[in-house]
Amino acid sequence: MNGLITDGVFWLFAVGSVVTAFRVFRTDSMMRAAFFLLASFAGVGGILALLGAEFLGMVLILMMAGEMLVMAIVMVMFMMNPAGLNPMWMVHQHRVAVVAGAGSFLALASLPFVVDLPDRPAPRPEEATAELGTELLGGSMLVFQTAGVTLLSAMIGAVVIAHRNGRFGEAEQGSLEPALEPPGEEKG
Amino acid sequence: MARAGLQLGLKQALGRVAAGAPVPVFAVAGQGAREHVQDLRLDGRLRLVDSPGAAMVLLIAGGLPDGLAEPLAHLHDSLPHPRATLWWPLGAGPATWPQQFVPTIETRDGVSETLQAIQRELLRGQRPGEPPILPDEDPVPWKGVGPYGQGGTGMTGGTPYGRPMAELGADRDGLRLDVLPLRIGPFFPRFPPGLTLDLKLAGDVIVDVAPVESPFAGAPPVGVCRAGARIFVDALSQPVPVAGLELARAREHLRWLADALVAVELGSLGSRVLRLAAELRTSDGDSIRTLGRALRRTQAIGWATNGVGRIPAAAVEGLGAGPIARAAGLPEDERTHDPAYSGLGFEPIVQRDGDAAARWRQRLGEAAQSLELAARAGDRRTVPTGSVESPRGRLDGEGNATARFLHLLPGVLQGLEWGDAVTTLVSLDLDFEEAVFAETARAGAVAS
Amino acid sequence: MRDYASPGVAIVAVGAILVAGVYVLAVLDRLLGMIVAGTSIRLGALLAEPVQSGALLVLQERRTTERPDAAGWALAPALFGGLAAVALAMVPLDRDIVAADPATGFVVFSAAIAMVMIAIYLHGWSPNSAFALHGAYRYGAQALSFQIPFLLAMLATALPAESLSIVDIVDAQKSVWNVVREPAGLPLYLVVGVAVSFWGPLNLPDAADLAGGTVVEDSGLDRLLWKGARAAMLVAVAAMGAAVFLGGWWGPWLPGPAWVVLKTVALLVVLLASGHLLARVRIEQFVFVSWVLLIPLALLNVFVSGALLL
Repeated sequence: MNGLITDGVFWLFAVGSVVTAFRVFRTDSMMRAAFFLLASFAGVGGILALLGAEFLGMVLILMMAGEMLVMAIVMVMFMMNPAGLNPMWMVHQHRVAVVAGAGSFLALASLPFVVDLPDRPAPRPEEATAELGTELLGGSMLVFQTAGVTLLSAMIGAVVIAHRNGRFGEAEQGSLEPALEPPGEEKG
Repeated sequence: MARAGLQLGLKQALGRVAAGAPVPVFAVAGQGAREHVQDLRLDGRLRLVDSPGAAMVLLIAGGLPDGLAEPLAHLHDSLPHPRATLWWPLGAGPATWPQQFVPTIETRDGVSETLQAIQRELLRGQRPGEPPILPDEDPVPWKGVGPYGQGGTGMTGGTPYGRPMAELGADRDGLRLDVLPLRIGPFFPRFPPGLTLDLKLAGDVIVDVAPVESPFAGAPPVGVCRAGARIFVDALSQPVPVAGLELARAREHLRWLADALVAVELGSLGSRVLRLAAELRTSDGDSIRTLGRALRRTQAIGWATNGVGRIPAAAVEGLGAGPIARAAGLPEDERTHDPAYSGLGFEPIVQRDGDAAARWRQRLGEAAQSLELAARAGDRRTVPTGSVESPRGRLDGEGNATARFLHLLPGVLQGLEWGDAVTTLVSLDLDFEEAVFAETARAGAVAS
Repeated sequence: MRDYASPGVAIVAVGAILVAGVYVLAVLDRLLGMIVAGTSIRLGALLAEPVQSGALLVLQERRTTERPDAAGWALAPALFGGLAAVALAMVPLDRDIVAADPATGFVVFSAAIAMVMIAIYLHGWSPNSAFALHGAYRYGAQALSFQIPFLLAMLATALPAESLSIVDIVDAQKSVWNVVREPAGLPLYLVVGVAVSFWGPLNLPDAADLAGGTVVEDSGLDRLLWKGARAAMLVAVAAMGAAVFLGGWWGPWLPGPAWVVLKTVALLVVLLASGHLLARVRIEQFVFVSWVLLIPLALLNVFVSGALLL
């Protein structure tokens, strides 16, 4: 019974992820596209949790919520046609995109059939989160710390660029770029 | 069949429970109705709501000019079913509002009971919900020229389907971003009745703003003057008791405060202020000072208003803008050269900052000062000189402070975020009614 | 493997607690409003009003706008309410009375809080209305600002327990409650808790200056569900606060669940009172305070609690 529920939930997440991921490219609303992508990620997060990686699954959902919102807002902001009134495709180079998408999906989906998967049932990790922490701050520390510091410096850079006291004075004052030529003496 | 019966039974049971709920009312205050509508907040049997979507009954109070008939019809149609409309004339003449389904009641107490009865009947199915007044059709049909019938040209630009697109406009940071044209009013609950603004918004920043001519302004009155403003209009042409005038001023300031508190999400405190205003006596100076302390503690004068909507003294000098000018440091007050006030120790209160917080402090200070003056005035009477200091500033036959101030509004609101713009507008205490009746009083004086 | 209630029991129990919590919240909020307004309190009317107003909203028809995103509009309150239920399911009533106790309960709760911004954005975007969209953008700015202090404030409570499980976090407070151990934690959590369910001074997305913000176009059932979901989220935030800062079921004389309920109601009163006693904050100010004051404070809180444990 329990196994049946688990199987059902797995298929719900799996099929849901694929369907919503497909819908991302079939909708003409940027907002829906972003939220379909989020739903797809949430499904993947659910599958991760089913596999015993609860922490990774939940963190995926947690991070993606903020990221998809920011992505949606930025998409609307930079779109020439934010109201979605004019016809719009979420896909460019339509044929290439379809072929590439279908090809990579088939290639990835065929992996379980062509690869000789090991057949020893692993014990369910009791302390998956602790093991993950040990891995992050143990064996792979150098990699993660390097990535972390790089990201941090990028963040600081972004804050500096967005800061109120920019190159041309305070942003709130209504900045003007300096003239190309130094101001000469007033004529007249 | 059984299912339909069950549904009906459930609906009836819910209807019986819901009949006792406070009636959600969207109220439109016309001429002569501002205080009456405000006082409905104190009635536990009703609930004044901010959006027509939340309402069951549309209450139209007082007189409304012809110009508002069409916006009213739109408003009516945006109430959810089942809905009803109630006209509360308050002495106003026949309205332009289609009257075939508008019952009329006259008294204050009757309103709540009538509203309750209407709600009961609507929920029990004894009264049919009102059908829409306007046809339910799109402002522009969703069909046009172009390869998809979208009416536009290509990916950008044009007016696809007849809908104007956001266009590029200058931004306060020196960028060029999309600006959205938007019309707010005339029934936006935070604005004085009749105020409509044509905005251009970049995000939530106001890039451009143009007040639309108020349907109240310039038109002859369609109702009676509201109680709070009447004594100031009367003072233009006849002697009135100083004590009564000052008490009315304090009351007007407190009534403004009650509305301003609703705008910063302090509705319960607003109700307390409203009750104080309704029962105000000359001995209530301490209550007002306590209120001032409470407002500082609640941060209503504080983080909600500090530095918001600054209006420098130079901008309003000579306008007779009353508390707005005095909050910016100008001691302009008609009462300083009114002989009726000599010997009462009247000295205009002034603030320095000229922001919304200063205007809140200014009105509280003036309310307390007015009570002191009222206590000292005895039975003095004013001498009509053709101009009078109303709670909003100089009132004369030409109009009131709002009429003179309105052209400054774009400069004040430009560059503000929407939330700050609302705080600023509320802090200005605009009023179109006073001017209409002041003009009528002058016309009457000329005629007679 | 940790404890999970069977799905049927968990859904019914969490749903029932949620509905009861929303009712209690509605009554408490009205009571506090009446005290502040100085009106006389009639108990019968006070207790009946939430039910009556709810029934009224059920009977009002739904409304639509020109070309809304109808699916998103219907989905938003459901998503919001579901998230509130997920958040509440993580709160233990007693050591062995809990709907779900995953090893990462803390992260599940945080993920639910993070997803709230999606629900609100969807709700503001869908009706195709300027004020609603404006409210949605405001919450975006608000949510991105409070996420980090929120996570940090809660993270500090996981340190003494050396676990991310909520049951373990409560268990570790047997001798000293976290509110004593980390005095900065609870105030931080409450500020952010008000922001999460946009109540009172931080009701920026559904604010009065937007005539109701994201909820402006809603009527009938839509409005009821949205208001209910928002209240449910506040209940969940208060319940979690009681668990991770006020020692959950620990307390003398009374049985554990009674303590959880009492502490939750106490926190609810504090959260609701802020709505009647504090003016609305300007969004610009809130973003500024979050990044400049709350994040460093929350970081300091984590460092100090960590250092004390070493």
